[in-house]
Amino acid sequence: MAYTRKNVYGFGADWPDELLWYARAVKDMQSRPLTDRTSWRFYGAIHGFDADAWGQWGYLSRGEALPSSADVAAFWQQCQHGSWYFLPWHRGYLIAFETNVRATIAKLGGDAAAQSWALPYWNYFNAGQSALPPAFASQQWPDGSGNPLFVAQRNGPQGDGNVKVDFNLVTLQGMTDPQFVGAALGASVGFGGPDTGFEHGGTYHGGLEAEPHDMAHVSIGGPDANPGLMSDPDTAALDPVFWLHHANIDRLWEVWHQNPPSGADPSDAQWTAGPASVGQRAFAMPMPDGTTWTYTPADMQNLATLSYTYDDFGPAVSPQTSAERLVALGVAPATATSPQAVGASMSKNVELVGASEGAIPISGAEARTAVKLDAAVHRKVAASLLAANVGGAPDRVFLNVENVRAKTDGAALRVYVGVPDGDDPAAHPELLAGTIGVFGVRKASLRDGKHAGDGITYVFDVTRIVDALHLQNRFDVGSLPVRIVPVVPVPDSTQLSIGRVSIYREGR
Amino acid sequence: MRVAVPTVLTSAAAWTALSFFPDGFPMPRLCSATTAFAPSAQLDLFLTGRPPAQLAAELGLMVTAMIAPLVIGPVRHVRARSFARRRLRSVVLFAGGYAIVWFAACAALTILSALVRSDTAISPAPPICAALVLLWQCAPWKQRCLNRCHTRPALAAHGGAADAAAIRYGFAMSVWCVASCSPLMLLALVLPRGHAVAMALAALWMFSERLENPKTPGWAFHGPGKLVGITLAVAAGVRLRMPSRTRGFAAPAGAVAKPDDRDRERRAKKRAS
Repeated sequence: MAYTRKNVYGFGADWPDELLWYARAVKDMQSRPLTDRTSWRFYGAIHGFDADAWGQWGYLSRGEALPSSADVAAFWQQCQHGSWYFLPWHRGYLIAFETNVRATIAKLGGDAAAQSWALPYWNYFNAGQSALPPAFASQQWPDGSGNPLFVAQRNGPQGDGNVKVDFNLVTLQGMTDPQFVGAALGASVGFGGPDTGFEHGGTYHGGLEAEPHDMAHVSIGGPDANPGLMSDPDTAALDPVFWLHHANIDRLWEVWHQNPPSGADPSDAQWTAGPASVGQRAFAMPMPDGTTWTYTPADMQNLATLSYTYDDFGPAVSPQTSAERLVALGVAPATATSPQAVGASMSKNVELVGASEGAIPISGAEARTAVKLDAAVHRKVAASLLAANVGGAPDRVFLNVENVRAKTDGAALRVYVGVPDGDDPAAHPELLAGTIGVFGVRKASLRDGKHAGDGITYVFDVTRIVDALHLQNRFDVGSLPVRIVPVVPVPDSTQLSIGRVSIYREGR
Repeated sequence: MRVAVPTVLTSAAAWTALSFFPDGFPMPRLCSATTAFAPSAQLDLFLTGRPPAQLAAELGLMVTAMIAPLVIGPVRHVRARSFARRRLRSVVLFAGGYAIVWFAACAALTILSALVRSDTAISPAPPICAALVLLWQCAPWKQRCLNRCHTRPALAAHGGAADAAAIRYGFAMSVWCVASCSPLMLLALVLPRGHAVAMALAALWMFSERLENPKTPGWAFHGPGKLVGITLAVAAGVRLRMPSRTRGFAAPAGAVAKPDDRDRERRAKKRAS
């Protein structure tokens, strides 16, 4: 049968049966020992594990026995981030988790409920649905006290316990990229992420992973001064709301599929067959019957074959078409929609236009830098914008925020381009390049971890901003100002820094 | 491919050039197979057994042949993070910084091997070196060095700062590379014979290590798992795809477990033609 995942706010009650059974299953899974492959903590460690953090939050006792080394090697620390496997891996993770929850519900006497139970999703983009769902916010639940869905370590975007995913922070910018994988370094990373092998924490987060996935994590968990479970990949899956957030991310993948002109997953064999096809770790999940389920991205592409769907596939977000952009740049509509004009926009030459000088520490309320533009390359971009009027192909422009490093996850940053000196960035939403939820940066900054310590690099499409600056005659400058504005002031102890801010052009 | 192909061709050309050098490579044959020479005599024989220019050329070619494939990832990073007009300059400066350290290291290793090696079968140098290589291969410090070989830092883009950044990056990469690979290089040099084959195998091993992702340092033996996987995939007919933005070769090919429509169309067209 096909299961339907529903909006957690769409049941019409704070404690519908779906959430009540979910809470019961969570409680039962939480009672199982860590060595049990279907236990709550084992499933949490499949996403990520850090003994110190787990111990700090009370999820690991001193001297507690860990699972066998074979189980740890096969299952733990498997989550794919900064990779084109991000979406398919998490889809399989949710399916396996859902299967375990159903089995638990049946074991607890809910056979009828288990027949149709599906993981709800939290669509924080809907009006009135940005606050943490009530069933997760309350310490009480219909079965008594000690609500299994409540977690104390959720601090909200301001760190004050008011947990919400603010639509002013999370964006659907990632949904506007029509390509799953980006073309080249410097330009778009792609909706789904860069081509990698098995990647537990890659350097470049794909469009959907960066926005809204990362920002939703840190909005729920809390800022670096007061981070919660959801703020860090090694503890995030211990929070019962993690699964509803990722159900929404999974749903947005399907939304992207359904909205032209985007929608094509990679057809490369190395994506469809996954990293196991070349001897790397398989995507493997423990199932309630004791077996191990392995799957590939190709197995994850079609919801119909996976026997589930969602009750809603909105909001649809369409990227600005090349014709719309040309009209905005002053080209006559008839010319803008001509096949020559549309075809000319498919250039893929990527090169650096300008870069900041020196690392940028982020501390306190705001950091400023300037991207010093190379005169010759800047002229290329400007010329392409001018040439749009006569049938030329205007460049696309991307902002790279490179090598973001930190000692703690959780910071939420807004990045603005072109805000005049003396102006408040908040008064210029049209100059907002994007947002950064510092999630996974801590691990990526460790020089002796499973990374090289380079941190994470974020890429934003700032074509619209550059177009606007050009039309306002404000693009003929030697440098572009960039402001990085934390939602909550960043303490010095976070040691948050950016290696370089750069601008790239994609054009002829 | 813009970086990988020229780099691999450069390495192949260096190996080819080395094969034309007389007197064996890189160690001259000793006159007697049964007499153990004193270390000072061996060193003297090594240093005087060929012209200094030839010695320098051999070392330079050896460094180029063995090390060039290891810098594909860093060179791609330097190119991508530089202005187009100065990509070549930045790459040359990076390569210069890298080569200087390795050249010096190779010279030191070659001198050291000249002091300890012997053509006799009873020399203790090879088994001792082999034991050291195995110990180092399993040591967490080696993994730490390998992890740092994957670093892709922010690079200054403008003027003299860009030049300095490229040189510094090359220098730093080389230091970690030398630290990681020196014991294996020394082992290849102290063998009584078969140096060329040993160096080639050492180069292959070093390349396979560079394919692996960084790992948490700890006492463990890490083998060439990714290279084996790629080799088997290629043998099964898979087309390799160069990753667009990852750490070197972090994106291996996938097997054609489920051929997609495009593959079916291509095969159908090929059959029809």
